[in-house]
Amino acid sequence: MSDVFIAGAGITRFGKRDESLQDLMAEAARKALADAEIERPEAIVVATMNPEEFVGEGNFASQIATYIGCARVPALRVETATSSGAAAIYSGFTALASGIYRSVLVVGGEKMTHLPTPRVSELISRSIDPVERAYGATMPALAALVTRSFMAERGVTLGEISLVAVKNHAHGARIPYAHFQESVSLEQVMASRIIADPLRIFHCCPISDGSAALVLTSERTPVRIAGIGHGADYLAIRYRETLSSFRATQVAAQAAFRMAGFGPQRVELAELHDAFAPFELISLEDLGLVTPGMAGRALQSGELTLGGRLPVNLSGGLKARGHPLSATGIAQVVELTWQLRGMAEGRQVDARVGLAQSIGGLATNNWVTLVERV
Amino acid sequence: MVSQILAGYGEIWTFTTLHSPPQGFASPLHIALVTLPGGVNLICHGAETRQLKIGGRVAIEEVDGIYYFSYLGLADRARLFWRRAGARGSKVTSIMKSVVKRLLSERGIDEEPPTR
Repeated sequence: MSDVFIAGAGITRFGKRDESLQDLMAEAARKALADAEIERPEAIVVATMNPEEFVGEGNFASQIATYIGCARVPALRVETATSSGAAAIYSGFTALASGIYRSVLVVGGEKMTHLPTPRVSELISRSIDPVERAYGATMPALAALVTRSFMAERGVTLGEISLVAVKNHAHGARIPYAHFQESVSLEQVMASRIIADPLRIFHCCPISDGSAALVLTSERTPVRIAGIGHGADYLAIRYRETLSSFRATQVAAQAAFRMAGFGPQRVELAELHDAFAPFELISLEDLGLVTPGMAGRALQSGELTLGGRLPVNLSGGLKARGHPLSATGIAQVVELTWQLRGMAEGRQVDARVGLAQSIGGLATNNWVTLVERV
Repeated sequence: MVSQILAGYGEIWTFTTLHSPPQGFASPLHIALVTLPGGVNLICHGAETRQLKIGGRVAIEEVDGIYYFSYLGLADRARLFWRRAGARGSKVTSIMKSVVKRLLSERGIDEEPPTR
């Protein structure tokens, strides 16, 4: 297996955008190609969750290749719901590791803010088990079921869960491309509108437009993908043994650490999938970054904040950076790449190893990517 | 509409009240995951979640292919207890009944009014 390196990273501003999805993705792709000083990659992997419904377009891999000006570069599209971006990295990684290609452009994006919120919610909830969906279960509803179980089993309080949102907004205030760049107080989070009891609107990530891209190569660069892992679980949450942890994350983490040849103790910063604030705490435990039951305490002690032992979601996370579904998994690795290269202005930490975790659907298709400065 | 009692009761695994349910559902929408005796988990609707607790016992009913949970009060739980006690339960019940009957007859409440 050949080593895989990150040669270029690019991102658009996240939030409400007027540009077309194709234009947004072309913008991120061009930035990543310019950063890598590569004019034309050998292949393109495109991640979009549902452009057919969100923007009414099809054959999307070819569309993006054309918009980038690489119409004759082979392009394919991958999809694993909200973790599609991470799936695209995996797809590019395997193509390079196997030696099929020497450079692959990976680009993910979504455009949703032009649609009414109930319509967006309905389209996203199609990634839920059909029986559970027939009962009116949406992503926030399932997340609330998970949250209540997690709180009961781990003794985590709603105050601690709310601190995740406070922390990630504080980080997001330093990110020029974030959807939300202002801080929020604990009181604001706790007093915000209830979506699905006990989750309030400030515990949930926003609906955002945006795109992120990476250029992966087999040629040596300062940042290497040390390990990447994929884990899966039942679509229906009622079939799972537990709701206080996600098996798909645990399995993905084991695979990624096995490939990297080191354990969670070497991770110095992490980008986690906080689509709902409690997911950050659950993920910390699933990844082995904190002892089960200690996530709330780690957060309260400031360990996970900029300047702490293990800063988590310095990019603002899904909560503040925003969550244009298929852009997210790539945006996480873009931020880690900048950190490892020393280019994270205003939020730079000294780290050698970073971890990104992406959740697809209600944790049916999760990914863990480990990046290392070499 | 066919109503059917399933196992009759189950244990609350987790629950929520959704305040922005999808089209076709009334708000607020109460949803719970309920574990039946034997370990099968169901997703259920309910009329309210106010008195629910994780691990608490609820009645389960199936109406038109949809499962519903309902909170069990003290009296409901006592009834369930006797039902689960089976043969021993009915023995206790019959002893209780005869005791009650004797007490009532001693007070003369259960007696027919004397005929003249």
